Amino acid sequence: MPEIKVTPLGAGQDVGRSCILVSIGGKNIMLDCGMHMGYNDDRRFPDFSYITQNGRLTDFLDCLIISHFHLDHCGALPYMSEMVGYDGPIYMTHPTKAICPILLEDFRKITVDKKGETNFFTSQMIKDCMKKVIPLNLHQTVQVDDELEIKAYYAGHVLGAAMVHIKVGSESVVYTGDYNMTPDRHLGAAWIDKCRPDILISESTYATTIRDSKRCRERDFLKKVHESIERGGKVLIPVFALGRAQELCILLETFWERMNLKAPIYFSTGLTEKANHYYKLFITWTNQKIRKTFVQRNMFEFKHIKAFDRSYADNPGPMVVFATPGMLHAGQSLQIFKKWAGNEKNMVIMPGYCVQGTIGHKILNGQRKLEMEGRATLDVKLQVEYMSFSAHADAKGIMQLIRMAEPRNMLLVHGEAVKMEFLKGKIEQEFSIDCYMPANGETTTVTTNPSVPVDISLNLLKREMALGGPLPDPKKPRTMHGTLIMKENSLKLVSSEQALKELGLNEHQLRFTCHVQLQDPHSDADTLHRIYTHLKSVLKGYTIQHLPDGTVIVESIVIKVSSSAEDSNTKVLLLSWSYQDEDLGSFLSSLLKKGLPSGIC
Amino acid sequence: MEDAEFEDILDDWFIESLKTYKDLHVYQLEHPTQVLEWTSGNSVCVAGYSQSKNEILELRLPLKLLADENKSLCAERDFKVSHGGFTDGPVRCLTHIPGTRCAVTNDGLSSDLQVWDLGGEESDVIRRTGSIKGKRSASERGSRIAARPSSAPQVLHGAQISDVQLTELASGETLYKLETDSADPLSSLQFVSDTVFLAGCCNGSVYVADTRTSAPPQLSHSPSSAESVIWWTDAAAGPRPSSRRVIRVSSSGQAVVSDLRNLGGAGCQAQLDVQTPGRCSQVKVSWAPTLDDCISVSGFSGVVQIYNTRLWGAEPQEARPLFEHRGHAVSSQQTDDSVPTFVTSHIWHPERPRTLLSAASDGSVHVWDWVDPNRQGGSPTP
Repeated sequence: MPEIKVTPLGAGQDVGRSCILVSIGGKNIMLDCGMHMGYNDDRRFPDFSYITQNGRLTDFLDCLIISHFHLDHCGALPYMSEMVGYDGPIYMTHPTKAICPILLEDFRKITVDKKGETNFFTSQMIKDCMKKVIPLNLHQTVQVDDELEIKAYYAGHVLGAAMVHIKVGSESVVYTGDYNMTPDRHLGAAWIDKCRPDILISESTYATTIRDSKRCRERDFLKKVHESIERGGKVLIPVFALGRAQELCILLETFWERMNLKAPIYFSTGLTEKANHYYKLFITWTNQKIRKTFVQRNMFEFKHIKAFDRSYADNPGPMVVFATPGMLHAGQSLQIFKKWAGNEKNMVIMPGYCVQGTIGHKILNGQRKLEMEGRATLDVKLQVEYMSFSAHADAKGIMQLIRMAEPRNMLLVHGEAVKMEFLKGKIEQEFSIDCYMPANGETTTVTTNPSVPVDISLNLLKREMALGGPLPDPKKPRTMHGTLIMKENSLKLVSSEQALKELGLNEHQLRFTCHVQLQDPHSDADTLHRIYTHLKSVLKGYTIQHLPDGTVIVESIVIKVSSSAEDSNTKVLLLSWSYQDEDLGSFLSSLLKKGLPSGIC
Repeated sequence: MEDAEFEDILDDWFIESLKTYKDLHVYQLEHPTQVLEWTSGNSVCVAGYSQSKNEILELRLPLKLLADENKSLCAERDFKVSHGGFTDGPVRCLTHIPGTRCAVTNDGLSSDLQVWDLGGEESDVIRRTGSIKGKRSASERGSRIAARPSSAPQVLHGAQISDVQLTELASGETLYKLETDSADPLSSLQFVSDTVFLAGCCNGSVYVADTRTSAPPQLSHSPSSAESVIWWTDAAAGPRPSSRRVIRVSSSGQAVVSDLRNLGGAGCQAQLDVQTPGRCSQVKVSWAPTLDDCISVSGFSGVVQIYNTRLWGAEPQEARPLFEHRGHAVSSQQTDDSVPTFVTSHIWHPERPRTLLSAASDGSVHVWDWVDPNRQGGSPTP
């Protein structure tokens, strides 16, 4: 039976690194290549030894697809492609291709420069890896090779995030990556058509949660900012150039306007340029509202938000500053942090995850004394707030997506099976599909039942309909007689005569002949007549003829009688039938072997 | 209403909420719930009430809400569905048996009860483990259920006052029956001590009895003889005898407070400021567990109101609520204005003084920690 195999790579039950292998129709595809941010050693990379013990991965993989730029989905990409070795195609959307290398380089700098790691990928490796990337557009089918095709769908979540549809022949798989089903201020919600894949693969990290509304998260943000400003404090918000920064700016601008607040809000210029640049490039990836705003004016022409100058950091009084980089590991945001950390009226709001080794990570873990360059210690007295704005689908979201795509099977990765029995039961009950939950390193095999579409010739169809009887029904298939012709990539069903004609062949006739011995004292003619009468009484409903030329014909079967040379009472019956009447023919020969009943005349 | 207009109103309420709430969490369940029941200090059960299949979910409160120190370093704002199960019918009443992982439900169609195991570490599935037969196979409102506070798992239940019985869960044995002839349907049933319970009838009369004796119950008649008025009751089971009070609220918005030891005696009264008096089916009235004299009321509309009964006098006067949670009404997604959203249930957190959970007919569940308007202006209350 045809089957699709799915294996999440990794060790143990660890969440935090996405890398999934799919074998479908003879093709091997790797979905995402994430880094596990919690480990410092090789455990942070996916376990590629599952694919091959040593050597390059090129021969074993048909393609690699990256869903979005978060490090737990693409962090191990340069390692896999340049250090382990892979030269095949790497697919990702345009925004992902633009943003990935920036994040990877940042990450590399932190890990190597700050933490002094050695077995790590280099800047050149990142560049070389990105050269292998083939960008994808939404809803555009891309032929990876003759048989494998992929298509990207909008996933929401972050700029450029995609869900991927993979098809080989009539088998298909959809991988969601990270997605969300509720639109937010700058991104829309995930969408997919009723593509009915054999398997829908999704993360289960948030599958057993019910998400607090986006508005409440925003409320918390505004409340914290407002409270700090009211007491005269300064608020630092370290951000990456894209995504949340825009959203938070729009939020603050609206709030400042509504509340008639006077404290200045600044946005560091480097941020503005980069962000504008990316938004211009990828305008189709944002939601309607942003597009409308952008068309009307420059993204960053806010009434209350101005460009930052480093000297402003020393100005007295309250202010809010958005600055890069997002994890406080270098640059302007770190400089400002150093200036403001000592005052408990101030606040730093971290809107996202921070990689180990960064100041952001340390303060989010509660560290209040930091060692800076030159042995100086920094006392962290300001308020540290961790807020998560990332958009993920929850339990309800997963059900909505399944309803949209109508997969035949569901597969959830990164969950503990014991903690997901209820969800599994819910999916199985509501949709009557199987729900699989492989552990990392475990392979799930899903048997598919691919249907092979075949064209049927009109003549053949008409002939079958003319036979009458009930119409064909999936529960009561009807046997039909035809010839299947496979030509190039098409399959068609035609009548035998047409097939022979097309192939330029003559139809052969097959006739069977058998001799049956009979003891009968009558003349040949009389014996024949007796046979005729006997058959007429036994085979009611059949056409039986006694021809003047000395033959009895039953349907197409010919029966002749002759006497044996040695003994005139021994009659030899010659039975001859064509292949089509095989059943009747063999029935007759068995019947006649039994002899003629005595009462016949 | 127009989308833009809708968004604006929402914004106004949210902006206002910066001052009026300390914490606010808004969730959307797949299906609305009529029950909210604590199963531990940080988890609640909810359950659907559609005619056919429904889910029972045990939800763990967001870590950020519960964190006291390091609250600012915790970004987790979501409910975690820690356990879930399926029922064949609606769930109109759900009671957790203290000290166990067991819950008892009633479907509002008969007075039979279903018994459930909420599951532990090894499995996240809530399973039906048995049932308890009630007196009536068909009942308009279904049974009220109360769990005995002590260690022995026993439930008090009944659809009408004459049916009230105490059943031992393990054996199914009936340990006690309330002796009375009256067939008044019940709107509430609760223990006020380990053995003494209070049964509130829909007509407003209240019975107090002790499960240790077969003596007839104490009866306090309804404050009003009006026929079509329905009453709901809640008793404050505080440690001090002075805090043992009973409040009765009617569908016309009348509220009567009396002392548990002297139900018929003079207490205080008020006319509540409810928007649609008369049009309500799931009124819930509750004493605040830690705030003296405060009560909460919901079910008349999409609003949960908190009143300070200390301001009430002997004569019924119009009372203004101390606080109103309008979140459900304001953020309701329903476009069908003929059936406005109403709050189906609410509960107070047992320890955090001003934290409540409320659920509404549109499937929303809110968790909110309100700011006492009389203490506003100063530094935030802890």
